Amino acid sequence: MPLVGLRKRVRWLSASSLVTAAVAVAAIAAACAGQGTGVTGDQPPGLFPVEPASEQAQYIFDFYPVIFWIAVGVFFLVEGLLLWIVFRYRRQATDVDLPSQTHGNNLLEVLWTLIPAAIVAVLFVFTVDTLGKVERTADSTDQPDLIVDVTGFQWQWTFDYPLQELSFTGSGNTGPVMAVPVNETVRIRLHATDVIHSFYVPQFLYKKDVVPGRVNEFDVVVREPGVYAGQCAEFCGLLHADMHFTVEAMTRSDFDAWVTQNQQAEPSLPPPPSDATTVQLTAISIAEGFEPTELAIPADSPWVVELTNADTVAPHDFGVRGATPEGDWRGDPDAQPGGSATYQPPPLAAGTYEFFCTIHPNMVGTLQAGQ
Amino acid sequence: MTADSQLVQVAHVEEDSHAGHPQQGVNTALLGMLLFIGSEVMFFAGLFAAYFNARASALSLGQPWPPEGLGHIIEPGLIPIVATIILVLSSGSMQWALWRIRKGDRTGMNRALGVTLLMGIVFLGMQAYDYYELLVHYGFGINSGIYGTLFYTMTGFHGAHVFGGVIGIAIILLRGVAGQFSARHHVAVEAVSAYWHFVDIVWIGLFFTLYFLK
Amino acid sequence: MATTTLAPRAATYRQRSWLYEWLTTTDHKKIGALYITTAFLFFLLGGVFALLIRTELAVPGIQLIDPETYNQLFTIHGTTMIFLFVMPMMTGLANYIVPLQIGAADMAFPRINALSYWMVPLGGILLFSGYAVGGAANAGWTGYAPLSAQGGAGLDLWLMSLVLLGMSSVLGAINFLATIFKMRAPGLTLMRMPMFVWNTLVTSVLLLFAVPVLTAGLMMLFIDRNYGGGFFDPALGGNPILWQHVFWFFGHPEVYILILPAFGIVTEILPVFSRKPLFGYKAFVFATASIGALGFSVWAHHMFTTGAVFLPFFSFFTFLIAVPTGIKFFNWLATMWRGQLRLDTPMLYAIGFIALFLIGGLDGAFLAVVPFDFHVQDTYWVVSHLHYVLVAGSVFGIFAGLFYWFPKMTGRMLDERLGKFQWLLLFVGTNLAFFPQHLLGLDGMIRRIVDYNNNPGWTEWNFLSTIGAFMIAVSVLPFLWNVFVTLRQPKTAPDDPWDGNTLEWATTSPPPPYNFDALPPVRSERPLFDLKHGAVAAHAVALPAQRGETHDETRADAPEEVLGEPIEGHEPQVAAGEETPQVSEAAPDALPHEERPRTEPKK
Repeated sequence: MPLVGLRKRVRWLSASSLVTAAVAVAAIAAACAGQGTGVTGDQPPGLFPVEPASEQAQYIFDFYPVIFWIAVGVFFLVEGLLLWIVFRYRRQATDVDLPSQTHGNNLLEVLWTLIPAAIVAVLFVFTVDTLGKVERTADSTDQPDLIVDVTGFQWQWTFDYPLQELSFTGSGNTGPVMAVPVNETVRIRLHATDVIHSFYVPQFLYKKDVVPGRVNEFDVVVREPGVYAGQCAEFCGLLHADMHFTVEAMTRSDFDAWVTQNQQAEPSLPPPPSDATTVQLTAISIAEGFEPTELAIPADSPWVVELTNADTVAPHDFGVRGATPEGDWRGDPDAQPGGSATYQPPPLAAGTYEFFCTIHPNMVGTLQAGQ
Repeated sequence: MTADSQLVQVAHVEEDSHAGHPQQGVNTALLGMLLFIGSEVMFFAGLFAAYFNARASALSLGQPWPPEGLGHIIEPGLIPIVATIILVLSSGSMQWALWRIRKGDRTGMNRALGVTLLMGIVFLGMQAYDYYELLVHYGFGINSGIYGTLFYTMTGFHGAHVFGGVIGIAIILLRGVAGQFSARHHVAVEAVSAYWHFVDIVWIGLFFTLYFLK
Repeated sequence: MATTTLAPRAATYRQRSWLYEWLTTTDHKKIGALYITTAFLFFLLGGVFALLIRTELAVPGIQLIDPETYNQLFTIHGTTMIFLFVMPMMTGLANYIVPLQIGAADMAFPRINALSYWMVPLGGILLFSGYAVGGAANAGWTGYAPLSAQGGAGLDLWLMSLVLLGMSSVLGAINFLATIFKMRAPGLTLMRMPMFVWNTLVTSVLLLFAVPVLTAGLMMLFIDRNYGGGFFDPALGGNPILWQHVFWFFGHPEVYILILPAFGIVTEILPVFSRKPLFGYKAFVFATASIGALGFSVWAHHMFTTGAVFLPFFSFFTFLIAVPTGIKFFNWLATMWRGQLRLDTPMLYAIGFIALFLIGGLDGAFLAVVPFDFHVQDTYWVVSHLHYVLVAGSVFGIFAGLFYWFPKMTGRMLDERLGKFQWLLLFVGTNLAFFPQHLLGLDGMIRRIVDYNNNPGWTEWNFLSTIGAFMIAVSVLPFLWNVFVTLRQPKTAPDDPWDGNTLEWATTSPPPPYNFDALPPVRSERPLFDLKHGAVAAHAVALPAQRGETHDETRADAPEEVLGEPIEGHEPQVAAGEETPQVSEAAPDALPHEERPRTEPKK
């Protein structure tokens, strides 16, 4: 090969190495700038995981530097060797004879088999140990301090507190809030009704899949009060990106107050005026939507929606887009599968509106107010 | 001998040995069939994995297997046992056909192939009748829960493979009757025979798993 | 001499029309070219899908792609890149090169070879026809049940397309195995085979045993979707996790299927461009075989978060597979060590591969740490890992192979400046696109979402990643221009432009339809090197024999007296480009067939 273009080649290689080095430096600088407190923190992402908020997360967070620095070490070793080789052993004008044709070296080959094997063996032992700590609590026979049954379905969450007899189903893409006391063992049991979902809270450094036909569970001890964002992490269809939830950790006394507040009977709706128009509506399923899809009501009059949920798997509810000055009107509570609910939306000015299920916004219909 | 055929020796696949040169290793076409059979073994392995996964799941949860109400449907009765015997015997006649042609006995091979073909068709017929009985008398279909799905999927794909084998046997029977095979040139018979034994062995595994182990 | 007897043969070749020739060819070289071209077209198509995805994700909020379209985009992007780009591209390169490297005239089953090829565009049409029936598949390339049991005809078409493409791969695997086992040139024992051939062998074994399991799973899914089957439906007694077991039992060997050919290409290039033999040939073979075997034992590391797998077992084997991979890295470095490196484009791609596949590999080691996997599974950490190993790995390997073998296949040399410019763009673009995704994953950004919250730093890193993606796209342009301009040149490439080691360089560029006029003697893993550098070759020949080299019983070995000695009359009197050796009668195997002394009666 001609040696004339050698300088050019060196320039290319230098250019690309410099660019790569620059990117690497920038990344590391950004990483050192903040280790990322994640979705609700105010730090940008870095080369370390988010700030751990639970006991279990701390074990993982403490182990991470071990594998990180080994990886960094291997990275710089290999890349360093590579750069050295590329610069030192470029073909020179004086290279006419072949270089020494070395076929192998048994000692070297044994060493670079055994040393990596030893490293991964050590990493494996640490892995099993950390795994035991993270998962151990789930297998313990101690009673947890709180049990929450989580049901994931397309595309919303329901949090049930069986002992406190509370149930919350989220709406829209913010989802429900799970209140938990800090520094106590919370057992989360996962139920799925349609497809596989995954319960993931980044600041717990933990996720567990929510699988139909199977109840997965895990224990978590949250250490700091705070609001922790969560999201479904197993692709589950159309609105997978919107399937959020929040875990809010608070002191025990605040938690008790929260429980009591929610257990009080909901103030019942004032009965609708006797001249209110009643609309019958049935929710068939997420895919099939409502029946009928066109409703008609008189304008500027009180009206009531009696929703029957004919679905066998998912809860539904009723909302009207643009029905209030602030935006959409969202009904409460949800109609459970096989159940029903009554809604009293505000009177509407004449016009055409869209009604929808706030849990499954693809279920829509047209509402005609007035002529 | 022209230089052309010397080149042939360099570049082309030797179907069987030419000019008295001993064949080195397995014949290429037969090797292809054996590799194909290897891949088909893995296909059935996937189906068996599904079966044992479903069975183990049920048993580990304390549920019966076969599931409630279905335990008496898949029984080693007359039809399945006779069908099994016929398929096993057909492997015997297939092997006999192969032994015959290795000795150059074309007529013996053709007769044995004909018997094998007949037995293969009878097996398929008995399988079809068995399906009919299950569907009509027991209402047991592919949509009768995981047990029905597994039964029909596994025996169904096996039946499809038997059907493919029957086509293969028919082809080599026709070729055999046309006199295309000899003691030294019959790799197609070797290949179809290997495939037919594979089909038989899979059935024995299926029969044992579905009808006895349960 | 060979030419006198062969010329009449060449003159009697019937000329067929160009279209008929290409549609009906069974020539491995033309089929290889068809594979390569088709695969590259799908690369461009899959790349456009990627650009659409990255454009939407550049900033938060939904700008131009609704959720349903987005879900179809990433499903089709993944399926296309894996099954319609990388696999056919690797098959195409192997199709062209493997018979040449083993000194064969074609593949073992040429017509099945043609069938295997034509199943690829058909499979592609099936996959994309989903768009004509109400929507393409939208359950991800992994098609997890029960989600994949929902959805319309697009999913059935996806499924059928994968069954067809799987069959194509299995037939190809059978063909390669039969070819490699049965059609090697005299003297070419298994332990003298080029590394690309070894990697093709192991890849073919993986395909043979893994793809049928996927087919079984797809059949199960089809039955669930269309016949009321209960494989994955808990209401009918089925188990959604079964799908994951069956899929990943295929899926994990699949990722080795995608990378091993790239390993092979890189391992071909490094010795040639370092002017040294491969360091640790035997270790390399065992490492490749180990990776293949171990690849079947780790599948459930994709399922750590399901709560349904025995975690320590799969973590252990996942860690273990890092060892043979590490061996390869060190062997590559040692091959280059104290060599005389020529930094032409193929070599740049090989070096870039080593530099960047390392990152992807290390990412994987992180994922073997089960509790860490609990955090980053289904996040952009995994997206980063898979794109490093596939883009920085497979794609770099593919471009390395294309630049390396382009002269052999077309008779022209690609332009070096354009090649290096492309390399630079691709190298920088790859890192820009995929390195920031590590950080996003660590921060909890999950994958397969059309939109993300405006968390601190997420927009910046996503935006940077999008820039990198566009840079990768732009890098394709100099390549396309390079190919276009080069193909218009006359066929002036020499037989052996790179001073290669293996048999494909012992014939013209491009080769004649029958591949070889004459084969050089094969006495080591570098037959052409031996031919060219005789004096040194004597030393090189001695070493393999002394290291207790095994010999394959199915091939006649060279007479004992030839091993360990210089081949008589075989001193380097060959000028560059002349391939025909002057050999003595002491080594009859070295002669082309028509010149061998007749010792037995002819038939």
